[in-house]
Amino acid sequence: MTGVVIRGLTMRYGDVAAVRGLDLAVKPGELVALLGPSGCGKTTTLRLVAGFLTPEAGEIWVGERCLSSPASVIPPERRRMAMIFQSYALWPHLTVAQNVAYGLRFNGVPRSERDQRVKDMLRVVQLEGYGSRYPGELSGGQQQRVAVARALVVEPEILLLDEPLSNLDANLREEMRFEIRRLHETFGITTLYVTHDQAEAMVISDRVAVLEAGRVVQIGTAEELFEQPRTRFVAEFIGKTNVIDGIAEDRSTVARGGLRLVVAAGELERGAAVTISIRPHQIALALAETAARPAPGANALGGTVRRASYLGDTVDYQVELDGSGLLLRVTGAAPPRARPGERVSLEIAPSACVPLLERG
Amino acid sequence: MSGERGFTLGHYARVFTDPALRKALWNTVVLAFWSGLAALALGAPMAWLSARTDLPFRRAIRSLILASFVTPPFLGAFAWVMLAGPNAGYLNKLYRGLTGAEQPLLNIFTMPGLIFVVALYTFPYVYIMIANTLELIASDLEEAAALLGATRFWVALTVTLPLVLPAILSGFILAVLQALALFGSPAILALPAGFHTITTQIWSLFQYPPKVEMAAAFSVPLLLATALLLLVQKRLLGRRGYAAVGGKGPRRRAIPLGGWRYPALLACAAVLACAVFLPYGILARAAFSRAWAQPFTWENFTLDNWSFTFLHTSTQSAILNTLELGILTACVGAGLAALLAYIANRKIIPGHQVLAFLAVAPVVIPGVVLAVALFVAYTRPPFVLYGTLWILFLAYLTKEMPVGYSQSDATFRGIHPELEEAGRILGASRLRVLAEITAPLARSGIIATWCFVFIGVIRELSASIILFTPATKVISVVIFDLKEEGQFGAIAVLGLFMLAMTFVTVVVMQTLLGRDVLGPRQSARAASG
Repeated sequence: MTGVVIRGLTMRYGDVAAVRGLDLAVKPGELVALLGPSGCGKTTTLRLVAGFLTPEAGEIWVGERCLSSPASVIPPERRRMAMIFQSYALWPHLTVAQNVAYGLRFNGVPRSERDQRVKDMLRVVQLEGYGSRYPGELSGGQQQRVAVARALVVEPEILLLDEPLSNLDANLREEMRFEIRRLHETFGITTLYVTHDQAEAMVISDRVAVLEAGRVVQIGTAEELFEQPRTRFVAEFIGKTNVIDGIAEDRSTVARGGLRLVVAAGELERGAAVTISIRPHQIALALAETAARPAPGANALGGTVRRASYLGDTVDYQVELDGSGLLLRVTGAAPPRARPGERVSLEIAPSACVPLLERG
Repeated sequence: MSGERGFTLGHYARVFTDPALRKALWNTVVLAFWSGLAALALGAPMAWLSARTDLPFRRAIRSLILASFVTPPFLGAFAWVMLAGPNAGYLNKLYRGLTGAEQPLLNIFTMPGLIFVVALYTFPYVYIMIANTLELIASDLEEAAALLGATRFWVALTVTLPLVLPAILSGFILAVLQALALFGSPAILALPAGFHTITTQIWSLFQYPPKVEMAAAFSVPLLLATALLLLVQKRLLGRRGYAAVGGKGPRRRAIPLGGWRYPALLACAAVLACAVFLPYGILARAAFSRAWAQPFTWENFTLDNWSFTFLHTSTQSAILNTLELGILTACVGAGLAALLAYIANRKIIPGHQVLAFLAVAPVVIPGVVLAVALFVAYTRPPFVLYGTLWILFLAYLTKEMPVGYSQSDATFRGIHPELEEAGRILGASRLRVLAEITAPLARSGIIATWCFVFIGVIRELSASIILFTPATKVISVVIFDLKEEGQFGAIAVLGLFMLAMTFVTVVVMQTLLGRDVLGPRQSARAASG
């Protein structure tokens, strides 16, 4: 099994740089999601890895083979990869079985074995007996499964997926996330998965690479990205958060107006501008008159509820802080504990106040 | 365009000072404007009726308009000579017989007569533009206005009309363009009436003694007018084409016509009678009559016209020439168009936009003008093609390329590049993907392109009439010659033969595309006809 190493990858469309010096290392057998908003360069990166595009700078390595560099690009058909496309790209003039069997002709599988391999694979994706249908006769979800089967049956070294679930409806999409994860655990193929949906990326992948403006700004497990975002972009893109700009007063205190927050890591430089991220669910909220004494060392703040939205399993509050007038989002357990206009006290552990690098 | 004594602008000066030539210019303007307007008057209401209302027999009407669309205009003109010629015209004889009058009711050999006949075969362009646009407008838009309390008339005026206005204007421009470029109808109707249009004037400048420089100079105003009108049309339609209105497959509800259903049907039938039933009827009648103007009795019935026509060696060679050229041009044209469209769509080589532009550029060149240019280019060394079928082949290929390219372009646009990429990443080379995936998917589109080019070639007259030599006549030229001899029976036979070939091709094409060839994707044909 082999991994993928991308170094300094750059690609421009006209004057617009889609990918700008992108570095990424995917370990053998790992599933890495490329996550980012549209235009961040994630699909371009995938197409560069597939060999459909020639990079302007940088290299793409798979194991000991350099597949792409500005000087030479090994064509897609010689990369031993498979790809699942956003449009599924099933050939409408071929049956399901012919679609799935197509790639087997090129990787040395004897004719006699092909039928069996196709049959087995159709069973894996739960499409047994659909071999003689045409893609046009299948539902969207079934077409998706055919596309998966066609890519997996050739046992590729690397599997590439380009927003494969974006054409499915919400329920099916959720089901297919687990399905893709299950298939990955079964086959263990090194996989790059492009998506703009953070929940999808978190469910499916071993690690998530967050892309912004053609670069990887942070790579890590879903938990690492959520708990320890390194930039404001990552903090805001992965889940909801409160971002507060302030000035470091000492190694572990950030001030903004009358507000003072003790933060997790004590490495701040006095007088430096610091941005911190606080997740709404890590703020404990209680009515001011009934609040217990805060835990020692915790940040205790007072404020007034401005809005409380009941969401079933949680309540989404907006709290205006005393003094600074800052608005904080707080997620509390249902049922609601405070109504708009009521005074509340908030408690935030220092470990929940994560200082961000001001642009990574 | 330089004479033997070097460069001169003298020919241009003469074009605009010679009174006869100026008259021809003016006649063309009159013809183009009024026939455009008449085409609009016929096409727009029919488009609305068949696209938006509960008019009975809408499908049949659409098919008959298609028939009118593929009828060579010069055949229609011949038929109308037989119908409304002042002396022997069938309708005039009927009128005299019924009323005992001495004077004919109709005289087709007049400017109004010419405008009428031209409009009969250009109104389908207007119809296609407007009907296809109307079909893309969701009736929600109109119903929204109706819910706000607007009357049906007010809705039509304030909602529907502005949405189709670009289509109406560009349909008008298309009809004007057709009228500008036509050679056959004016040659058949205007010349006996004693007046010229630009195209007939260019043609007559080629008659002995030929004044090629004058013809070339005279071509320029026509070329400029065409280019200008196409530019205006492109502006009107915007970059996305006239499909810009609304989304896909909007739900539409037919507007009830109530008591107007049958009067409206009658009006449509009258137009189609003039464009299809009467002309085809008189052609069929002439094809089987000893004397077409005499009553159609058993004594008058004959098959001689058929044997005379098909046994005549010059006709046989013309049919052979036409088929050879039709098949050759269609094969080369469809192949080339497919290749260019593939290259342009997949951006395979740098400069692919230039190729696409070159393929559609001839759309601005009327057939007569193209013929003049080819004549000038290929009658002198190093390339002497004049007198061979090759010069006709070049003319047809150039003339049909825009249509063929647009058709192929639509075909390849419809094939998602990911279908090819999926093949590549699984191990197939570019050529293998082309053969196993792209080609099968593009096949019916390419065959449809073939049919478009073939139909265009077998009916072509305006370039052929200048480029033919006695050994390289084609059917349309023979028909035109037979007019001089008054052989209306033979004209009818050849005309019906040509129509039969056309209709067979259309049926093949409809079957292959699995849809109406006049449908929205066929804007290509209309936009470059």
